[in-house]
Amino acid sequence: MSTASGSDAALERLSALVDGEAAAADAADVCSCWRDDRQIRASWHVYHLIGDVLRSDDLAIEPARDAAMLAALRTRLAAEPVVLAPVHPGSNTVGSWPAAPADRRAGHGGRFPWVVSSAVAAGFVAVIGAFSVLRQPAPSVTPAATLAAASGQPPAAAPSEGRRVAEVASDNNPARPAAFVAGGVVRDPRLDAYLAAHKQFAGSTALGVPSAFLRSATVETTGR
Amino acid sequence: MLSRVSFAFTLACAALLAGPHAWAGNAGAGEPQGIAKQRDVRGWLMRIHEAASRRNFQGTFVVSGGGNVASARMAHYCEGSSQYERIESLDGKARNVFRHNDVVHTFWPTNRVALVEERNLLNSFPALLQAGADTLADWYELQVQGDERVAGHAADVLVVRPKDAYRYGYRLWSDKTSGLLLRADVLGAQGEVLETSAFSDIAIGVRAQPDSVIQAMRKLEGYRVLRPVMSPTTLEREGWAMRQVTPGFRQVNCVNREMDGAGDAAPGGEVQKVLQAIYADGMTYVSVFIEPFKEKRHNRPMQGAVGATQTLSMRQGDWWVTVIGDVPASTLRMFATGLERTK
Repeated sequence: MSTASGSDAALERLSALVDGEAAAADAADVCSCWRDDRQIRASWHVYHLIGDVLRSDDLAIEPARDAAMLAALRTRLAAEPVVLAPVHPGSNTVGSWPAAPADRRAGHGGRFPWVVSSAVAAGFVAVIGAFSVLRQPAPSVTPAATLAAASGQPPAAAPSEGRRVAEVASDNNPARPAAFVAGGVVRDPRLDAYLAAHKQFAGSTALGVPSAFLRSATVETTGR
Repeated sequence: MLSRVSFAFTLACAALLAGPHAWAGNAGAGEPQGIAKQRDVRGWLMRIHEAASRRNFQGTFVVSGGGNVASARMAHYCEGSSQYERIESLDGKARNVFRHNDVVHTFWPTNRVALVEERNLLNSFPALLQAGADTLADWYELQVQGDERVAGHAADVLVVRPKDAYRYGYRLWSDKTSGLLLRADVLGAQGEVLETSAFSDIAIGVRAQPDSVIQAMRKLEGYRVLRPVMSPTTLEREGWAMRQVTPGFRQVNCVNREMDGAGDAAPGGEVQKVLQAIYADGMTYVSVFIEPFKEKRHNRPMQGAVGATQTLSMRQGDWWVTVIGDVPASTLRMFATGLERTK
């Protein structure tokens, strides 16, 4: 394989890839050469170095430093504890995580679990995010209110952004459907008129103008 | 490799996002141990109230609760005994609110609608506070819980705890120098945060520009102007009595008002006359709305919450009663059932 990949044709394709001119089909092919062939990898690095130096003299550094940095990074990554232990379809144990990509034969199958686990983690973030925004102790909503939610007509005016936020947050949190009513996403449109009338007397609170009035002016109650 | 890096990043983000939440939980449960300063409930609240009336400030104000987040840019100016305010909502439909003392103009530029209101209760708090000088202390206790930094300002953290289950608690952040309220949390029975309103940034002591407010309020041409009609009355005159007033609350106002049928199915629906009685305990207030029961309109009793604001609607004989306030649902029910028809 190394004799074939070391050929001028392979180097030309590699060059095209570095320049961003390779066809999509070629790219995968070249990448697999790059992974398997030490010589191609050296060329890949040299091409990048040339590109770097063309862009700035400051980037003309000893290649050994790059290599040392990469090696150190790989060692530290390998030593890092695995939090959500992925199962490698191609390898026997999780513990034998390859120290260098060159030794790894897992290919796409081997990488995929990581993608899944970070996607799962991203999901957690979304849920945690939703919780900290919601921070709502599930207020007592009677069955009547849930009924109201089910049969309530959509508000006459377009819902405000704030309500859309609530809707999205509630989507991540299906365990508490009450938030739909409590968050004011679906409710009796007439309620808005009462809320507006109520907030008109916002000055009657101890915190007075800055708090109550500002609060009522900030949060839209009427969808005019 | 890239996915590992992004994974670590994701974890970091998760920790960051979870952080404030966990912190708020701890702060709610933790016992205050700061040495109580010599001000009492009333002293602290007066300081907050006066700062709000007498200082010139502008900033960005954020309200979040019940899954909703809304923010607004605001400016407050005072000149002599006059107060001016400009509030520009940053979320949802464009909306500008201008206030000159008791007159409030709300503009919706997109559909060219303006609401002109007279909010004659806006400045009534000091009177309420002075008249019932000690009543606040009967229903709430205040503790200073230390110092924190809010919107770039050092603030005293005050915890206002209710002495009974009829009302909510509050955690307040008051600017050390001016007394201005920088952040307020409404707390439920377990100390959980129901709603937070806070300045995300604020400049205190800015130059007053009252003209910018006055001129904007004059620009009503091209707008459909709504002027809701309100006339003062009393519960007794309307044939009602509140047999069982929730402890600590007093009636502070009672009006007959027209409520537009904006939410009705029929376009330009009929205007409904509604009686509104307002009760306050010094910290918060409750509105009781009474109107004739109409089968078509009032087909179901309702109970729900928007942030810290609870609502309850129910039928009472030939009448339909709606109670709204930042109090527990059980308090609203007490108001609703305490009403009695005397005519």
